[in-house]
Amino acid sequence: MAAETQIPRLRLTAVSKRFGAVRAIQHADLTVRAGQVHALVGENGAGKSTMIKIVAGAETADTGEIEWDGSPVRIGSTTDAIALGIATVYQEPQLFPELTVAENIFLGKELKKQGRVDWATQNTRVVELLELLGLPAGYATATVGDLSIAEQQQVSIAKALSGDAKVLILDEPSAILTDAEIEVLFDVVRRLTASGVSVIYISHRLDELFRIADEVTVMRDGRTIGTYPIGELSVRQIAHLMVGEELSDARPHREVPAGPAMLELRGLTRTGKFADVDVTVHQGEIVALYGLVGSGVSEIAACCYGIERATGGTLAIAGKPENPRNPEHAQRLGVALLPANRKVEGMFGFQSLAFNISAGHLRLLSKLGVFVDRAREKAVALDLIKRLAVRTPHERQPISAMSGGNAQKVVLARQLVERPKVLILAEPTQGVDVGAKEEIHRLITELAEEGTAVLVVTSDLPEALRIADRIQVVRGGTTTEEFGPDAKQVDLLAAAAGGSE
Amino acid sequence: MTITATPPAKIKNLPSPVTGQEIVLIGVIAVLWAALAVSTPAFLTAGSLQPLLVATAPVALVGVGMTIVIITGGIDVSVGAAIMVCSVITAKTLVGSDVNLAVAVLISVLAGGALGLINGFLIAYGRVHAIIITFGTANLFMFLGLQIFGSGTVNGIPGTLGFFGRGEAGRTLGIPHAFLITALITAAVWWYLRHTAGGRHFFAIGGDAQAARLAGVRVQRRVLLAYLTTGVLVGLASCFVIAQGTSTLDQSVGSGKELAVIAAVVIGGTSIMGGRGSVLGTFLGALLVQTVASGVTQLGWRSQLSDLFVGIFIIVAVGADLLRARARRSR
Repeated sequence: MAAETQIPRLRLTAVSKRFGAVRAIQHADLTVRAGQVHALVGENGAGKSTMIKIVAGAETADTGEIEWDGSPVRIGSTTDAIALGIATVYQEPQLFPELTVAENIFLGKELKKQGRVDWATQNTRVVELLELLGLPAGYATATVGDLSIAEQQQVSIAKALSGDAKVLILDEPSAILTDAEIEVLFDVVRRLTASGVSVIYISHRLDELFRIADEVTVMRDGRTIGTYPIGELSVRQIAHLMVGEELSDARPHREVPAGPAMLELRGLTRTGKFADVDVTVHQGEIVALYGLVGSGVSEIAACCYGIERATGGTLAIAGKPENPRNPEHAQRLGVALLPANRKVEGMFGFQSLAFNISAGHLRLLSKLGVFVDRAREKAVALDLIKRLAVRTPHERQPISAMSGGNAQKVVLARQLVERPKVLILAEPTQGVDVGAKEEIHRLITELAEEGTAVLVVTSDLPEALRIADRIQVVRGGTTTEEFGPDAKQVDLLAAAAGGSE
Repeated sequence: MTITATPPAKIKNLPSPVTGQEIVLIGVIAVLWAALAVSTPAFLTAGSLQPLLVATAPVALVGVGMTIVIITGGIDVSVGAAIMVCSVITAKTLVGSDVNLAVAVLISVLAGGALGLINGFLIAYGRVHAIIITFGTANLFMFLGLQIFGSGTVNGIPGTLGFFGRGEAGRTLGIPHAFLITALITAAVWWYLRHTAGGRHFFAIGGDAQAARLAGVRVQRRVLLAYLTTGVLVGLASCFVIAQGTSTLDQSVGSGKELAVIAAVVIGGTSIMGGRGSVLGTFLGALLVQTVASGVTQLGWRSQLSDLFVGIFIIVAVGADLLRARARRSR
C-alpha cells in the first residue's frame, strides 16, 4: 500500500504513563498520517484522554518514543506541542464570551503595531481562517457569546489552526452538537484534511466514524488493541474490540419481586432533547437507562424530577399521571434524585454531615414544623451513617473533608430519609473508588429490596450490567432496545453507539 | 485550492466603540438636563453646572479604576477608606509644611498607590476573593486613617490644591480642572483598554481566568495592576476631595464613597460578573448619579429621593445585564 511507504506525520511507540500506582496507559502505539482522520476510541478510562494529553504536551510520557515526520522529538510541554504544530480543541470551548472572534483567536499572541493591537492585520488573518472553516467573514468582529455552541466550537478550531497546525486533536467534538451541526463539523474536517492537516478524532459515537475517519485505533485498559482501516470493521466489531473478552462477572442473581409500576414514561418528549421515551420501573425493580453523552439520558432523568418539564407524552408515578413542576413537587410525589454532579448540585460542602443528610427534610425533622429537632437530626444521621457504612469520626464532620465515595453515600443517605417510592440515580459511582462502588451498589440493591423503584442513569456499562434487572438503551434522544441482565457488553455498546446492523 | 486576490476587506476592525448602554445613558442624562432646565431655569447656568461637574470628578475618577477591577471579576470596597487615608495624609502635610501643588499630589498618589498595592498583592497572590480581602483592608485603612487624624479634625488647610477646587482658580475657560483631568484620564484608559493587548487581557481574565492563563496572559500581574491603578486614582481623587471642601477635613471624609463609585460603574453597564465593561459608561454613570443628586436639591425635594432614584438605576442596569446573560445562555 502506498500509505505504508509514506513517513507518518506523528508516531508514538510503546508509550506508557503512570499516575501514582495507577497505570493510565501502558505500551500504547499510535501512528497518524498526513491528511488523514485518525479515530481514537475506547471506553471511559481506557486511556484515550491520557494519550491525547501526551500528544498535546499536557502530560509527559514515562517511557516510549515520539516521532514527528520520521525524526524523534520530545514533547515536554504544551508549548513544545504547539511549536511542532499540534493543536487541541477540547470538548468545552475555552473561549472568552465578551471578546470578539478575532480577539479570542489572537489572545495572548496579539499582533502589535506601535504598542497597540494591529486589528487590521489580525482580522485579515482571521478572515482567511473563517473562510477555510466556511464561516462568514463578518464573524471576525462578532462577539463570541452571541454565537451558537456549534459556531463557538468552530471558532475554537479556528483558534487551534491559527498557529499553523499540522495535527489537530478534536476531543469528542460531536457530543454537544446537533445532527445538522455535525454535518458542518464534518465538512470542516474534510476541508482540513484536503489541505494536508491530520486530525485525531475522539468520539463515543461509533457510527459517525464510518463517515469521517480513515483509520481507527482502539484502546482498552490503557493499551492500544490495534489500528485498522475503518472499512475493515463494523460498529459491532469495534464495540467488541473496545470491551474485549466477556468478563464472567459474578453477579449475585436477584429475584425481582413482581410489583406495580411505580414510574411509567409513555411517549415522553421534550422538544430538542428527547422524544417518544418509554420506560417502566416497577416497585422493587432496578432499571438502568444507558446512553452516551448527549443521547438525552440525563435530560430524561431531569424531567422525572421536575428540573425540566416534558413537552409531550405522559409520566405516571405510582399509577397516577403527574408532571412534576419542580424538585420540591417531585419529592412530594415520592420521587428522589441523586444528582450526577454532586459537588455542584448535591452537597453543602462546608456543612456537617448531619446537615447534609437532613437538608430538604427539615419539616419532617422539626417540632411543630418550625424548630429543627437537633436530637432527632442527630439520631437519624447516626442511624444512616451506620446503615451506609460511612467512614467518619462523627456526624458533625464537614462533608467536604470526606472522600468522594463517602460523600456520595452521604448524599444518598439524604434521599433515604423519606424512603422514596421512586429513586433516580444519575451516575451514582462516577469518580468513586472500587470499594465504595461495591457498597453503593449493595445499598441500591437493598433499597430496591425494601420496595423502592430505582432508575439508574449511567454511562458506565459494567455498572449497568451489574446492578440492573433490565437495561433500557437510549440513543439519539429516544429509547431503542431493552436488554436483560445477561446481555453482553458488546451488544449494549453497539446498540447505544449506533448501527446494530 | 485556488488563490484569489484578497477582496477589499469591508468589515469593521472592531465592534462599535460605544455600547447600547452608553447611548441610553447619554439619552437619560440629556432628558434629565432638559427637564431640569425647564423646571428650574437656574440649572443650565455656570453657577449650577460647574459644581455638578466638580462633584462628579472624584467618583468618576475612582470609578475608572473600579471599572478595571470589576472587569477582571473583582471588586474593591476599600476605596472609601482609602480616600480617607490619602486625604488625611495630604491634608496634614499641607498644614504642617509648605509643599507646593505637585508635591501634595505626589504624596497623595503615592499613599493611594501603596494602599492599592496591598489590595493587589493580597488578591492576586493570596487567591482569596476580592470582596473578602478589600472588606478586610477597608477596616484596616479606616483604623489607619483615624490614627492619623488623631483628635477630631484637620484644621486650617491652605488653598494649595485650589487648582482642583470650586473657585475661580479651579477653572479654565469655565471648565473645572478636576472634571477636565478626569475626562482626559477616562479617555486615555478607554483607549488603553480598547486598543492594547494588555487592556484586552483584563477582559479575558474576567471572562475565564484559567483559560486566560493558559493562553499566556500574566493573570496575577494584570490583577495587581488593576488594584494599583485604582489606588493611584484614589490618591488623585483625594486631592479633588480636599480641594472641594473647606479648610477643615473631618473624619467622615470618603465615608460611603465606595458605594457611590460601584453604583456609577454598574449603572455604566460594566457587568458585575466581570469580562465586560467600559470606563466611558462609568463616567456617564457618575455624571447621571450626580445630576440626580443636584437635581433633587435644586427642585427642593427631600434628599432621600436621590437614593431612591439611584437605587432604581442600579436595579435596572443589573437587571438588563442579567437578562442579556440569560438570553445568551438560552441560545
